[in-house]
Amino acid sequence: MNANSNGGIKSVRTIIVAGQSSDRTREVLRALSGFTNVIWPTSLESALAQTNSKDAGCLVIADDLREEPIDEFLQEARGLQRNLPIFVITDPDDVAEAVSAMRHGATAVIEIPPSYAALCEEVSRAMQ
Amino acid sequence: MKDMPQTVFVVDDDDAVRNSLRMLLKSAGVHAEVSASAQEFLSTYQASQPGCLVLDVRMPGMSGLEMQHELNLRGATIPVIFITGHGDIPMAVEAMQHGAFDFLQKPFRDQDLLDRVQRALTRDADYRARLRHTDRIRERLASLSPREREVLELVTQGKANKMVAGDLGVSQRTVEIHRAHVMQKMEAGSLAELVRMMMAVAS
Repeated sequence: MNANSNGGIKSVRTIIVAGQSSDRTREVLRALSGFTNVIWPTSLESALAQTNSKDAGCLVIADDLREEPIDEFLQEARGLQRNLPIFVITDPDDVAEAVSAMRHGATAVIEIPPSYAALCEEVSRAMQ
Repeated sequence: MKDMPQTVFVVDDDDAVRNSLRMLLKSAGVHAEVSASAQEFLSTYQASQPGCLVLDVRMPGMSGLEMQHELNLRGATIPVIFITGHGDIPMAVEAMQHGAFDFLQKPFRDQDLLDRVQRALTRDADYRARLRHTDRIRERLASLSPREREVLELVTQGKANKMVAGDLGVSQRTVEIHRAHVMQKMEAGSLAELVRMMMAVAS
């Protein structure tokens, strides 16, 4: 991983963002704009296909998913890539949701707000 | 050997919580043992004791999370259900990353805890049953001669007797005899069962 000519953090592997079209998802994409190779597939099917790719670096579940519950999507993604870092963004203090996400295969759960710094840190670590 | 009874260990510094959990578990027909501190629990706990652990996060002295680290260092596999009145997401994530079975915030419904305890006891029983199964397979493997072990490895790779004979430089008849001994010593009824046994000990 190194800086590209635009000042972004160049990564060979892909950061996949899953989430409905919402303010939260857009904020996550903005927070990750320092990384190259960030993709936001248009469907969960496509997100799973990208997750299954050898180029997948990490998966960020940015918001509720319209098409299926997060826990089920997590299990499917984990089934495809046992060691892929998967991060889930949740509302603050929703401990039950965080525990459920961890039980279903999340690597870490990051509460938003206060900031996206923790997410960028986790993603940086994952991409290394 | 008769299996030891399952025990739910409760570690909480609050007398009232300990007593109410003891009563709750007793009313559900579950054997419980309570400790007022992590140190008290660790001084008597043996990893061979089946069951699960209900553990308070915040305690004076060693915290619940520190006790979980200590149990991990000891190689304990007991499922841990954390309970806390002041839980936050980073704390829950840390506990789960270190292998907690569940994380429950107080106040909780009695039934919620009992459901989790039941699931944790089932997981512990399943894990211990798998462990006993693989231990038995390993004992049988240890009873094989070096040549029988070679034959076992080749036949579970899918090789026919003729190929095994070629690989080992012996006659096909000799391979058949070794193979029969392997099946007998491993108590395997078929090649498929033998392959499953090898996969169980490899995983």
